[in-house]
Amino acid sequence: MRVLKLWRYPANWAIFRLDDRLLLIFMAIIVGNCSGLASVILNRSLLAMSEWLHHFRSHWWVFVLPAIGAALSSLFLEKVVKEGAGHGVPEVIYSVSRYGGLLRFRSSFSRLISSCLTIGSGGSAGPEAPVVISGAAIGSNIAKYFSLNDRQRVTLVGCGAAGAISSIFNAPIAGMVFAIEVIVGEWKSVNIVPIAIAAVAGTEISRILQGNQIPFSHLLFKIDLLNVFACIGLAVLSAAAAILLTRMLRSMHTISHKLSGPLWLRAAIGGCAVGIIGLFLPVVLGEGYHAVEALIEGRYSQGLVFVALASFAKIAATALTLGWGGSGGIFAPCLVIGSLVGVTYHHFLSLLWPSALWANEGYYALLGMAGLISGMLQAPLTGIFLIIEITGGYEVILPLILVSAVTTTLCHYIEPASYYLKDLVEHGHLLRPGTDARVLTDLNVPELIERDCIIVKHNMLLRDFIQIVQKSHRNYFPVEDDKTGNFLGIIHLDDIRPYLFNPGMHDAVFLGQIMDTQVEVVHPGDDLSEVLRKMDIKGLFSMPVVMNNRFVGLISKATILDQYRKELMVQTSH
Amino acid sequence: MDRQLLHIFRNTPMGRETLLQSIYLCKKVGASPVIYVPKSTKFLMYFENDVVQIDLDSSYVTAPDTAITHATELVERGELNVTFLEPKHYTASTLPDIPTTFDYMCCPRSVSDLTSKIGLGYIGPRVRRIVRSARFPVFITSPVFKAWKSLAVFFGGSANAVNALRLGFHISRVSGMPLDVFTQVENRSPESYRQVVEDENLGEEMDRYVNDWHFFENKVFEENLYDVPHDALVVMGAFGHGVIRNFVFGSKMEKIQSTVSNNLLIAGPNYTATR
Repeated sequence: MRVLKLWRYPANWAIFRLDDRLLLIFMAIIVGNCSGLASVILNRSLLAMSEWLHHFRSHWWVFVLPAIGAALSSLFLEKVVKEGAGHGVPEVIYSVSRYGGLLRFRSSFSRLISSCLTIGSGGSAGPEAPVVISGAAIGSNIAKYFSLNDRQRVTLVGCGAAGAISSIFNAPIAGMVFAIEVIVGEWKSVNIVPIAIAAVAGTEISRILQGNQIPFSHLLFKIDLLNVFACIGLAVLSAAAAILLTRMLRSMHTISHKLSGPLWLRAAIGGCAVGIIGLFLPVVLGEGYHAVEALIEGRYSQGLVFVALASFAKIAATALTLGWGGSGGIFAPCLVIGSLVGVTYHHFLSLLWPSALWANEGYYALLGMAGLISGMLQAPLTGIFLIIEITGGYEVILPLILVSAVTTTLCHYIEPASYYLKDLVEHGHLLRPGTDARVLTDLNVPELIERDCIIVKHNMLLRDFIQIVQKSHRNYFPVEDDKTGNFLGIIHLDDIRPYLFNPGMHDAVFLGQIMDTQVEVVHPGDDLSEVLRKMDIKGLFSMPVVMNNRFVGLISKATILDQYRKELMVQTSH
Repeated sequence: MDRQLLHIFRNTPMGRETLLQSIYLCKKVGASPVIYVPKSTKFLMYFENDVVQIDLDSSYVTAPDTAITHATELVERGELNVTFLEPKHYTASTLPDIPTTFDYMCCPRSVSDLTSKIGLGYIGPRVRRIVRSARFPVFITSPVFKAWKSLAVFFGGSANAVNALRLGFHISRVSGMPLDVFTQVENRSPESYRQVVEDENLGEEMDRYVNDWHFFENKVFEENLYDVPHDALVVMGAFGHGVIRNFVFGSKMEKIQSTVSNNLLIAGPNYTATR
């Protein structure tokens, strides 16, 4: 029994007592392997499903395949695993922000299956967000099993995300950067080291099981100054595409929610629409990596209008798939849309200045991909490292940085929060460690209540009250009803000052006559940010906490700031 | 009255019985009920080291138009102030987060299975997860409202049982109800159980609150349970032992809940003893 107990609490193992970072590194290896394995399973499942459905692609009714896949995916999420949540990444960030990375166990496999159904049947979505939530949930549940604390759990959630992205793209740096930049939001060595180890573990699992191949072929491009400057225009175009995709995703989501039908029916309608687009433009179907490969290698021989149309069609198909209830992520669609936008831009430049020495269209496809990823995620480093790693093209680093930086800036100017973070920011749920909002969220009213208050009755004479004041160190005195015990108001020392030096009034004034009844009160369930806002507006230093008309205690600005400082030190000490 | 009891309201006759039980407990322990009227059948409870998704059965969203009125009527008839819980945070638009900072929570034996399945010997998986994770004791009600007149604490000597005993003392103190302690003697002498109480510095409270300490010598635990008063609130610890030990030796909590039809107040392994 003791051995089993010891097994459940690795923090008590002698080796990890020396330094808890060793514990996190050990756990990161486990989490990285598990999340990497989850990615490989999804990847293989998608391949198998794609091969299985290939025989049906020649039928006239092929457009219903994405509808069936999306409907099954929605039914699975809603009825079988009862997920009741979106495509995943915002849920992970929400949990990291507010609940120390606690994620449900079912999330470690639910999105893998649902996204396999959506994407495998032809829905326009990517497998990355599903593997991110899957990896993050694996990390969270491993941390839960071993009874790790909140901070360690958040790091393991990041490890899960890093392992998953690293494995699915065979890109350890991108996985690591994505986990820190997007999921954890905190660049500290205590996070970076385990996340880096998990990224390595995830990548190794992928390499062992699928071979060490970069997803897209490596090409050499001739890049001169003209082509570097030209990428500014592409950045603007990428930003426009990213904004369009973000807004279309949201508007489709809004439109679909206005329909009264069941969720699976909405998903089926979206899937059917994608299937119909796919009849004319097959590039929009599925994750679209084959199309990206063709675009990078310059094998996509369509003209300017067709490529531009394909870009819009892919944006529409992605919005229809994800906005109407299909399951999947936006990474892969961003890569496809980005490469299409890049090639469109290249064709446009060639049309305008046919004699100029433009680089190969694959170069612009790469930059477009980086631009879309950076714009949608507003995470430039993830965009840069992902494209470098999945194409092996380090020589395009300078224009990549330029495109990512410009696109991120433009997107941030128009849409201040990224697609993942928009809802969280709107609802005040993005609480990065060490920020004011996070510190206030981690404190609550009940733990700050000062209970050593002297409660006085409304029918008490001023003379009796003065005697109480002489023995007390407080300035505020809550007043309650003698019979019901209900809170009536509060007396501040200033309230008795006019009567203090007039002994004649001491036996003539009751507290009920001079108390402040228009006092702002706090409920124990109130948010501390709201309490502080009230204090600032009214210029208050203390407020009574009242529940069910009963006085519970006082909450003061001094106590809040004292605890705030302690909490801030805890959050920023590592 | 700054203690709060969380009650998930079901607008059905059975839900009414459960709410009546909650109101009775609140009156006895000086707590105020906080009622959540679910708008969808799913919600999340984030505990310190676990997140539990509660998938309510569809009867919980019956007649939403009258739910607030019905609940208000019952609580006001019980001369208590009614507070309705409005979730502030949502993990997803249809997935509200319900706070876990209450002092008690009331659950029927199951929240996620149809009422036809609910009976003795069955506690649903979600209710079990709540008991395992919660810092508060969980009040598991009998199907029909029945006012309890005394307390019966089951004490087996474990750390969880000590917590349950403390909880029993607290309720006895605030409610003024008589308290009996029941112990199934297992390979130990009654003295060793008394020694545990002494070691935990509970001897004085034991003398003050406990009417009688019953030691069951009969090996068949279920037969001994007939001695538990039918109108007592049974207070006990649960999930204090590991899975393997429970698998081999069985769980006392399971035997009690499958034999007695009384209301149960269960302190789980994460229960923090009453202030």
